[in-house]
Amino acid sequence: MDLAVIGINHKTAPVEMREKLSFPANETIEANRLLKENSFLKESLILSTCNRMEIYAVCDRNKDYVSGIKSFLSRYHNMNLSEYEDRMYVRRDREAVEHLFSVASGLDSMVVGEMEISGQVKKAYQDARESLTTGKALNRLFEKALFTAKKVRTKTLIGRGAVSVGSVAVRLAEKILGKLDDKTALIIGTGAIGEKLLLYLRKNGIKSILVTNRTLEKAQGLAARFAATAVAFEGFLERLADVDIVIVSTGAPHSVIRKDDIVSLMPRRKQRPLFIIDLAVPRNVDEEINRIDNAYLYNIDDLEKIVIGNIEFRVGELENCVGIVKASADNFMNWLAIEKIKNEN
Amino acid sequence: MPAFSAIHHITICLSYIAFFAASLAAALYLIQDNAIKNKMAGMLFSRLPGLSFLDRLNYRSIGIGFPILTISILSGFIWAKSIYGVYWQGYNYRHLYSLVLWLIYALILHVRLTARLRGRKVAILSITAFFMMVLTLFGTCR
Repeated sequence: MDLAVIGINHKTAPVEMREKLSFPANETIEANRLLKENSFLKESLILSTCNRMEIYAVCDRNKDYVSGIKSFLSRYHNMNLSEYEDRMYVRRDREAVEHLFSVASGLDSMVVGEMEISGQVKKAYQDARESLTTGKALNRLFEKALFTAKKVRTKTLIGRGAVSVGSVAVRLAEKILGKLDDKTALIIGTGAIGEKLLLYLRKNGIKSILVTNRTLEKAQGLAARFAATAVAFEGFLERLADVDIVIVSTGAPHSVIRKDDIVSLMPRRKQRPLFIIDLAVPRNVDEEINRIDNAYLYNIDDLEKIVIGNIEFRVGELENCVGIVKASADNFMNWLAIEKIKNEN
Repeated sequence: MPAFSAIHHITICLSYIAFFAASLAAALYLIQDNAIKNKMAGMLFSRLPGLSFLDRLNYRSIGIGFPILTISILSGFIWAKSIYGVYWQGYNYRHLYSLVLWLIYALILHVRLTARLRGRKVAILSITAFFMMVLTLFGTCR
């Protein structure tokens, strides 16, 4: 009984190739069946996400199952083997086990420690069970993988700290202002990063969004996309009295918000905290504003530094995670060895 | 009048507990505020509660502690009357300090309610008030 994984991921293949080899969610169950019918695999499971496409397989010893899987892929996706073969990796036995445990724990992800992958692994496992293509070995392997992922998440700090500018900004906003569901954000300018940030704020339940821009039409365009309200650029400072988060993302070469503006604003705001995010380069907001009580100013560099710090922190935690993965792999290999002996007798 | 003695002692303890909670929230507020202002979004930042929560906790604890302190002082007066025959002994430091403390907490509540101050400065005030309270307690207990 051999155990193997064969696949491609974001490290070995560009997105165009991963797209071609991926299995859409609604086809996975059928694809699992087809694969098993057309190969000598005893057990098989397809894991297909946007960053990876992997096939986990259990097969009798000495059978050339790898070329069987490859020819299935070629036929299914209508591709020549030579197009993708050199991008593919094959890992066997213990290496395959460790690989899956790392994948499920988010250690092999583009953003190390992201946890979405655990859910995707779980879904792939459920789909394969539904297609009746897994057996004793893969069932146990995937249950252990999900268990290991949970252990990594709870016993280490790998998932701690936001690792994108948007999520860092949201986390800061929540620490400063509390829950966002009764808060208002104003975005000045229609830059691309600002738009991304709005998306994060929407996802995190911000109550309302105001958009302003020197050209009102542009503001209206952005406002339409986010179910926001466009307001005139002239006199946006007046609006700040009722706003909790200000995102500045204009192309202006000078300050758009000055210290005096905020100093005179705070009493009108009844000293309620104000979070200003300056995404513009060159900076559009006077740095001195951060010194005013209850006003908090972060620029794009500040946010990026936090992102880098959090990523480094995650990488520092990797060693602990790998320890957990290896210990789990040991356990699984012991179980597998016993199973093999049982089968031979 | 032992009843007033009991009220006085129980309420003074309760108000101290409330003010202790307020100053603890205030101290955490200052740490968190400092972390955010200085862009240190590390472990401390993520473990500590958010600013708005700590600010509210500080304010509410004082809001609870203050009326209890008021009851305590009033019952103290009545108790004093039963022992010394007068409500107020001008030369008694404990009485004087208690009154000053009461005024400070009244001031904190006032600035916070009228929204003149919020956040960091209120936190500093409430920590100062708590320290004064502790000093009063130790300085006047004989």
